[in-house]
Amino acid sequence: MPERTELLQGTLDMLVLRTLLLGPLHGYGIAKSIRQVSNDSLQIEFGSLYPALRRLELKGWISAKWETSERNRRARVYRLTAAGRKQLVREQSKWQNFIDAIARVMQGEPAGGES
Amino acid sequence: MTWLRKLRWLLPSYRRAQEGEMEAELQSLAEIAAADQASLGNLTLARESARAVWGWTWLASLAADARYALRVLRKERSFTAVAVLSLALGIGANAAIFSIVDALLLQALPVRDPQSLVEFDNSSSSYFTYMRFAANSGRIFSGMLARVAGRRDIDTGGSPVRANVELVTGSYFRVLGVPALYGRAIGPDDDNRGHPAPVAVISHALWMRQYGGDPSALGRTIRVQRAPFTIVGVAPPEFFGVVVGEAPVVWVPLSTYSSVYPGQNPLDEPGTNFLEFLGRLRPGVTAAQASAALTPIQIQAQLQRVGEVPEWIRQEIRRQKVQLVPSGKGISFLRYWLSKPLHIVFGMVALVLLLACVNLMNLQAARVFERRKELAVRLAIGASRLRVARQVFTESALLAMAGGALGLLACRPVAETLLALVSPANPVSLHLRFDSQLIAFIAATSIVAAILCGVAPAWRATRGEILPAIQQGSGAAKASPAGRLFGRGLASLQVALSLVLVAGAILFATSLYKLMHIDTGVDRSRLVVLEVDPVEAGYQGEQTSALDRRLAARLAALPGVESATFSFNGVFTFRSMNRGVEPEGYRSANPRDLSAWCDQVGPHYFSTIGARLIAGRDFAERDDRGAAQVMIVNEEFARFYFASRNPIGRTVAIEEEWKKPKILRQIVGVVKDLRSSGSIRERPERCFYLPAFQTQTIQASTRFLVRTAASPKSLFSAVREAARAEDPALAIESVDTAVDLLNRALNRDRLMADLSAAFGTLALLLSAIGIYGLLSYEVARRTGEVGIRMALGARPAQIVRMVLSEVGRLAIIGVVAGGVTALAVGKLVSGMIFGLQPGNPAVLAAAALALIAVALCAGFWPARRAARLDPMAALRQE
Repeated sequence: MPERTELLQGTLDMLVLRTLLLGPLHGYGIAKSIRQVSNDSLQIEFGSLYPALRRLELKGWISAKWETSERNRRARVYRLTAAGRKQLVREQSKWQNFIDAIARVMQGEPAGGES
Repeated sequence: MTWLRKLRWLLPSYRRAQEGEMEAELQSLAEIAAADQASLGNLTLARESARAVWGWTWLASLAADARYALRVLRKERSFTAVAVLSLALGIGANAAIFSIVDALLLQALPVRDPQSLVEFDNSSSSYFTYMRFAANSGRIFSGMLARVAGRRDIDTGGSPVRANVELVTGSYFRVLGVPALYGRAIGPDDDNRGHPAPVAVISHALWMRQYGGDPSALGRTIRVQRAPFTIVGVAPPEFFGVVVGEAPVVWVPLSTYSSVYPGQNPLDEPGTNFLEFLGRLRPGVTAAQASAALTPIQIQAQLQRVGEVPEWIRQEIRRQKVQLVPSGKGISFLRYWLSKPLHIVFGMVALVLLLACVNLMNLQAARVFERRKELAVRLAIGASRLRVARQVFTESALLAMAGGALGLLACRPVAETLLALVSPANPVSLHLRFDSQLIAFIAATSIVAAILCGVAPAWRATRGEILPAIQQGSGAAKASPAGRLFGRGLASLQVALSLVLVAGAILFATSLYKLMHIDTGVDRSRLVVLEVDPVEAGYQGEQTSALDRRLAARLAALPGVESATFSFNGVFTFRSMNRGVEPEGYRSANPRDLSAWCDQVGPHYFSTIGARLIAGRDFAERDDRGAAQVMIVNEEFARFYFASRNPIGRTVAIEEEWKKPKILRQIVGVVKDLRSSGSIRERPERCFYLPAFQTQTIQASTRFLVRTAASPKSLFSAVREAARAEDPALAIESVDTAVDLLNRALNRDRLMADLSAAFGTLALLLSAIGIYGLLSYEVARRTGEVGIRMALGARPAQIVRMVLSEVGRLAIIGVVAGGVTALAVGKLVSGMIFGLQPGNPAVLAAAALALIAVALCAGFWPARRAARLDPMAALRQE
């Protein structure tokens, strides 16, 4: 079993939006998808995911509808809205900047003035 | 738009829908993930956190706190009632005083740019001077106005009613920038005297009251002192004239003075100072510059007016200075008169509120201690300390809010009652505003009260160890030493605050008592004072003297009357006049020494008013025009001018008429000093009396003094009847007893005495409740200790003594602290009390005794309860 990674503060929203970019999913499906895609290193409990879903819904970035699945189960299915798409782009570029900066610090040569 | 969606959460239907949706979703997911329950995690927490997304959890928990607090408060009815009532009283009284202070001291006049208005603080205020100023002040003022007001008979077609009339120059409304609501304002054209159709502007209040707000009131006739005026305009509703508290119902041109005051014509008398001047400074002109520029104008005018006079008078005139004071808040005589008492009363009500808060803080702390077990359990099962403290604070906040709401309801009637008490004879109409500002004041006061009485108990509720609190039985609990000190400190603080209020109450009451029993030199029992105005009925000169003589005789002949006379000043009326005198053998370089107060009195004046003649004789009928010119002086006059020499028989030259030769008079009597004109609090000044039949009558009302054999009030109708029989046209200004007149002069003192007595009593009551509450709780806490003492042989009397000695200790600490405070703040009232000093030891001792007695009484019941404990039962609780 791979090592479990703690989720960085503030990244959960982005992960949810990214997951929904691939297609609509119900709440449990989102949690499962994140787990699978991350090779089980991001273990997201549904309990902590759920408030995030409600928050994103309240902000209008995702929308929800009751649908019946192939196994004839009713579930509340979330999908990305146009505003959500824009938000995802924003978050992604912010995230990219962040990891670039971290990477530069961690790998790069000192910019000047060694101590 | 997110906030809008969040706001929708407050709709119960939306919330229910959301809750239902959430339940359904979680339910369905639980089924979908039935195989994988672990990965679903804590769903209860998920629900809670999801609700928090809307951002209203704080409101929900606040509502829960409020519901719980309401339940607790409902259960403890008597505590709640005492708490809410004392806060309502405190907050309501503060709000009432605040609204009066606001109207009197803070509100700006509802005129254009009130900041640039200045008032002349000036003794020289004749119409003549005004005209000089108005013509020559163009560079200083953009406009100037003069005004005077008085109570006159107003007749709108029914029976005449006395109300304030303001007489104004044509510039008045324009300079103030107050346009008429309907019709037109009084304008420059109305300054023409002898205008065939004089006009009037009526107040909005009169317009609504008498004409039902009908614009057809314009053009109708209103009579002021029987003279007709055509209504040409209605003033805006917020405009109450320029004098705070005066609220005229009608404005008429100053040019109609002689119609409004028949028989008087001060507009043509350059020496008669009867007006108030206001000017509007041009932009950039300071009051100091204006005063410097206006002074030469005044000196010029004065010198021109007096003409040929001795050099020292000219010197005096050249030393005059025009003083300007900002009058953006309006002119106010009330302000000078009431500002100090108002501040003191404001201080007193603030103390009462503080006392109520301390009281509540103490009671709350005791109640929190009672509930420590419950609170400890809450903490033990995971409530945060902040959460518990908030719960406790919510109770205080609710009490304060209820108190504030009741206070809001109470403040208007309280304020209006207070104003009615200030001056019952001459009602003060202040523009009290019950608006957002007052509501903000009440809200702020309530919040401060909530913080004062809620924060400390809430903080204390969460201190201390949890475990011991849960383990201990209710009877055996031990408060921390700090906690006990806190409670007693609060009780001592209450005693100290109360002492200040009680000492103030005793001080004002003693002062009033001394004022009421002061020897005024007048025997004021069984003395009726009738004021009639012969001038208005057309009497002049000799006719007035004849009328005075006839009416005095008519009054003296009434059954039940011992004697009757008259004078210009009368008694306790605060009318006085000053005249230049040159007593024989007296020299002084200071011209001020050569003048004295004066009255013109009828025969038997001093025997009728009950004054004591020290030497010589009273005036009699024979002292008339043909007889020798005589006068009577008071003791102070004799002492000042003649020192130890006998004044009888000496002569004094008196300037009885402006620029006429002085009249030489011989002193025939010396009367004991009277405190009947001027302020009765001050030492009588030098004064002399002239026989009315030997002097020019003064064009003003006359006061008749009637000494009765029986109750003076029973003769009121007979006295009125006599005046009417003498001449039906004669205006009867007033009929009073001398006692009532003096009492009226002491109105402010009585108000202060009454108010401080009410606040002092309230303070005593609040302290008693506070001490009783503290002791009840101490006794309950020490049940075990008392049980042991009794088991070891202590007698009930010893237990009572033990408890009471504790009360005594904290009362004495409070009394000492309060005494020191009272001494420190005593200076504030020094100008307002008569006959004793603020730091009077007897007053402080009496207040201290009262408080110690109240404290011991309040402590006695809990002490007796302790003494009646069954020792076995008490020990079993342990």
